Amino acid sequence: MQTASSTPTKQKNRNRPGIVIAAVCVTAAILFGIHIAHQDTAYPSTDSASIDAELVHVASVVGGRLVELPVQENQHVHKGDMLYRIDPEPYQLTLKQAEASAALAQAEVEHQERLVAIKTVEATAAQDQVHRATTNRDLTARTVRRLAPLAQNSYIPLQEYDQAQVAARNAEISLTQATQQSVAATTAIGDLKSSIAARDASNAALARVRYELAQTEVRAPADGYVTSLHVKTGEVLAPAQALFTLIADDEWHAVGNLRETDLATVHPGDCATVYSMIDRTHAIHGVVDSIGFGVMSLDSAGLARGLPLVPRQMDWVHVAQRFPVRVRLDHADPTLLRMGATATFEIRHGASCH
Amino acid sequence: MTQPTPPACLKPVATTVGLLALTGCSLHGAPSFPLVGAYFPAWMMCAIIGILAAVGFRVAFLALGIDTILRFRLFTYVSLGVLMALLVWALVFGP
Repeated sequence: MQTASSTPTKQKNRNRPGIVIAAVCVTAAILFGIHIAHQDTAYPSTDSASIDAELVHVASVVGGRLVELPVQENQHVHKGDMLYRIDPEPYQLTLKQAEASAALAQAEVEHQERLVAIKTVEATAAQDQVHRATTNRDLTARTVRRLAPLAQNSYIPLQEYDQAQVAARNAEISLTQATQQSVAATTAIGDLKSSIAARDASNAALARVRYELAQTEVRAPADGYVTSLHVKTGEVLAPAQALFTLIADDEWHAVGNLRETDLATVHPGDCATVYSMIDRTHAIHGVVDSIGFGVMSLDSAGLARGLPLVPRQMDWVHVAQRFPVRVRLDHADPTLLRMGATATFEIRHGASCH
Repeated sequence: MTQPTPPACLKPVATTVGLLALTGCSLHGAPSFPLVGAYFPAWMMCAIIGILAAVGFRVAFLALGIDTILRFRLFTYVSLGVLMALLVWALVFGP
């Protein structure tokens, strides 16, 4: 309390270091704050990401009773492993039917081949008949020509000449008939087109049935984990009904939302440090894969063909839109990877990016 | 003003430094901190550190007698707290 009696000048001098310290501290805090704000925009991070993987809803294109299910919930399977089998019997029966149809179609083709061969021979015979009729016609024509001068001079009876003329006309008609029959016989040979088409259709049906029979055995389309499996054998499945979900584990991602103002500094190929909260001390190296190109916003929501939905309101503070950024994880410890797990990622900084 | 004994004067400083070192240790890892099933973001952790640092500075400066020469104490301690929080952010979570 003695200081209260000191002169104002002394008081001022005593206060000066305090003012300087306060000014330095405030200025430093503001400048450092601005610097950190810049850094935060240049090196964005999010703590609301989640671990993501691709899914396959395992289903068969054919239906039937489930007779074999060698996999269990949460089991790891490899690509090509048998996952389940649908009762193949109906498809085997259909296969037999289709095989019989194909054999029938093949027999029909062979039968048709024989018919064509017979008709070809008949056509050749008809052609020979034309030949014979032509020769006959020529002979009778020559006879008429030879007898004509003799009949004129009455060396032969007129009756004989008349007979020769009739024979020539008959031969002419026979030739015309033989020619027509030959054309008909040639046309009647036909071809194998319809029977071959029928055989092709039967073979296609057979291939289809074989495919369906093969589809009764469902194999893993990728390495992964069996999830959401709640049924046992005996269940009857409709075609394309999903039995369980396979989480493919060949590639894992972390998907997190970053503010649109930070997206300019994020590029595909950037390094990222990802933490799965299953073990928050274990850094995972990641690479930015892509940035989402669209999110549903309330301003664009509404019916596709309706009028725009415009709320009556004053312009107020707008919260920045966020877009999902997809980070591909490299060689992550499998124990850290569960789809939907909370994750954080830091773009171009953190323990994995130096 | 009595001269404080060295151990008494160093105690708050040592506590603060120790606390900061401890947080620096546990801060290693993801910038998200689990507490009874909820994740608290790194900035919140830094803010708490900043508040603790401001209180720590106040206690230390009172013990060391530095507090008497300060002016605009509220602004000074708030700035110091902010500086500490930002420093932790820059060192632990920064690029």
